[in-house]
Amino acid sequence: MKTLKTFVGALASAALLGSALAVQPATAKDIVLRMAVPDWPPTRTMKDLADKHYKAPSGNNVVLEPDFIPWPDYYTRLAASLTSGEQKYQMAVSDSQWLGANIEGGYYMKLNDFIDADPELQAVFKDLHPTLVSAYSTYPHIGAAELAEVGFPHPDADYYGFPQMPDVIITYYRTDVFCDEGERAAFNEKYGKMLPCTPEEMNDVDWDLVANIGEFFGRKAGETLAGETLDDDFYGIAYQAGKAYDFSSMEINGFIWQHGGSIWDETNAPEGQAEGVVNSPESVKGFEHYLSMLKYMPPVVQTGTMDVFKVDELFREGKVAWILQWIGFGESAISADTSKVHDRVGFAMHPGLRMPDGTINRTANIGGQPFVLTTWNSDEVIREAIDFVKWWLSSEVQTMFAQGGGQSGLQSVHFSDDYASYRPWNHAFGPSLEWQRDVWHIPEFFELLVQQQEEFDKAITGQKSAKDAMDAIAAFQQELLTEAGHIE
Amino acid sequence: MATQAQAAAPGGLKQHFSNWRLALVIAIVAIPGSVFLFPLETAFWVSFGAVILVTATVVTRAWGRRPGPLLVAPALATLLVMNIFPLLWSLGLSFFHFRANRLSPPRFAGLNYFEKVISDPNVWDRLQTTAIVVVLTVGIQLIVGFLLALMFEREFPGRRILLMLVLTPMMLSFVAVGAFFRYYYEPTFGLLSQAVRLVTGEPYILLASPEGAIAGIVFADAWMWSPFVMLLVLAGLVSVPKYLYEAAEIDRASWWRRFRTITLPYIRGLLLLALLFRTIEAFKLFDVVFLITEGGPGTSTETIAVYLYRVSFQYFKTAESSALAYILIFIVIVLTNLYLYFVQQREKEEEAPA
Repeated sequence: MKTLKTFVGALASAALLGSALAVQPATAKDIVLRMAVPDWPPTRTMKDLADKHYKAPSGNNVVLEPDFIPWPDYYTRLAASLTSGEQKYQMAVSDSQWLGANIEGGYYMKLNDFIDADPELQAVFKDLHPTLVSAYSTYPHIGAAELAEVGFPHPDADYYGFPQMPDVIITYYRTDVFCDEGERAAFNEKYGKMLPCTPEEMNDVDWDLVANIGEFFGRKAGETLAGETLDDDFYGIAYQAGKAYDFSSMEINGFIWQHGGSIWDETNAPEGQAEGVVNSPESVKGFEHYLSMLKYMPPVVQTGTMDVFKVDELFREGKVAWILQWIGFGESAISADTSKVHDRVGFAMHPGLRMPDGTINRTANIGGQPFVLTTWNSDEVIREAIDFVKWWLSSEVQTMFAQGGGQSGLQSVHFSDDYASYRPWNHAFGPSLEWQRDVWHIPEFFELLVQQQEEFDKAITGQKSAKDAMDAIAAFQQELLTEAGHIE
Repeated sequence: MATQAQAAAPGGLKQHFSNWRLALVIAIVAIPGSVFLFPLETAFWVSFGAVILVTATVVTRAWGRRPGPLLVAPALATLLVMNIFPLLWSLGLSFFHFRANRLSPPRFAGLNYFEKVISDPNVWDRLQTTAIVVVLTVGIQLIVGFLLALMFEREFPGRRILLMLVLTPMMLSFVAVGAFFRYYYEPTFGLLSQAVRLVTGEPYILLASPEGAIAGIVFADAWMWSPFVMLLVLAGLVSVPKYLYEAAEIDRASWWRRFRTITLPYIRGLLLLALLFRTIEAFKLFDVVFLITEGGPGTSTETIAVYLYRVSFQYFKTAESSALAYILIFIVIVLTNLYLYFVQQREKEEEAPA
């Protein structure tokens, strides 16, 4: 009797189990997408969204497992993992400059075949802003203008990456000091100009006005600012001028382009030269213009350690009236936990050089990161990774990402009417994209960057003139690029 | 595994498992054979198995017969695998065209990279910077450490607590010290600048000039490592027999004479040891420089270790960086041997008349 009962029970539970299994496809597998990512809000938000909302269309149990690595170590850690051959990551977030080195190393996977076979991916690429496709996806590099002109797909383009967090430099400013009636009157009296207060007014600021702002808001302890007596020195402006990584090049390049100069342009290789281009009179003028405003900044700028983190800190501590900063730092500037000025921050586009026709040339260096697939994945993992990419770059998810503080590269999202309402800085993002250009993507970029940062630093700390620094950079680049076969 | 088998079946299998010569022959044939015949992954596991087999037979053989070597063996094996092998590997790489982040296989380059490194003006410039930093920081450490030791030699109230505080910097991590001094020198928030501003009214920007930046680095490094010198010298001072001082006092010897003829001979060995340790360490100075100035302004504080890091892990010129690393190791070994030679000469000269 007992045996019969047990038998029936077993039969029943087997039937139950069978019906439960029938709901899921018989082959449902657990697949982990391990992704190397820098540790900051945009990647944390991605992880949250993936955990809450991602269901793989294949029916497999796909889990995104980001390896959060602190920013200062990120390049070293990722490069060490890729070159060691441990094949740890299925995907990786990568600064756009690293594309060349890691593609030539055989670590990043070319996507052309997958794009050709998949209309949904093609739709994504058509919707992405050409500037972002140019900077984040093409290698060898193809300029945004050419991509926009030819349309998608470009017949000669090799595609590699997708935008994870597109980033641009924008203006952060203190509304309490810029909108103070007393300060506005004093500014008008001194310069005969209006002190900008609203984002619209701030969008019309050129470098001349920035210099006025820098001079005007430089105050000593004991002086008054917006009606209050200062107990510490206060400074007008700050932008990045640090020696480490790319913490001066990213701003200096903008000045060079605005003045009609150029960095060594990889799209012109192998005819394009470095000597005579990098140190052209226009380029030198752009760099001199950049240097001319350092005197209005907090004194740390004279040590060559004014990196983007220092700029961020000085602003959050309430020591500066106006800064240029990556849009990705916005969240910490308006959060009461991290910022002393969280309730009085305004945002506007990057300023620029006033052209003879009255328009502003705000050409700047793009930031942000693409994410890529690595080359050692099985077909099954590749399929899941591509499905994940398509989910990530769908309008709904990109909208959720933007609402959570990220930025979207999809034009249908960042040009939508609601976009500006998600976050106070969002209005400055979409219109900025057309002004963005990118630095080199060739494998030798780190040597170019380190030497350039050293020479820029010598000029920033007053050891060299702008011209001498640019001459040294041009000579070094000419030799290195010729040796590497990029210049013939 | 082998030892278990031995324990389970003494006698019969023992003969078999301890035949290390046969195992070695098998390994010598199997490892190159598998590399030629099988795909890389299979070859790896075959070689791994062969190494395990040889190890097991050697251990079985030595078990009970040679306990001494057997006890040392794990340490030696670890040293070989973790230190010696990578060292030799990188020495090999320095003779090839090879970059760790490129697909192209290594090509023989001969002495090309050694020549390149020696004729590289950047290397000479960084070596000069390193020499300046080493001389300054080691000099200050020796003087400060020595004075601290003289102070702590005597008993005074609160000595133990003060000694503990003075020793703290040495026990902090490099990163903590670097981050601390970066803020200490910071012109807007930093303590140094705030203090100077009380007097001058202007913020003080130490790291703006090459000289100031070197001073900042030397101070941070000396702050961290003077206690180490103090510890060594203090050990020497404590070991001086009290009766010598008492005898000197009876003879009414001056303080200087007592110091020169009694104290100094006892601590000289340790002082020279401190000099050697600190010079080698300072020659490799990386962390503090990288954290406080990143080598700036310009390249004025970039030590050779920071430059080596850039070549190796930022430019990924693996072969060139290996060559540079070997030249540096060579410099350190030569300097150390010269130093030891002179010390021994001195000792011989001093012993001779006695």
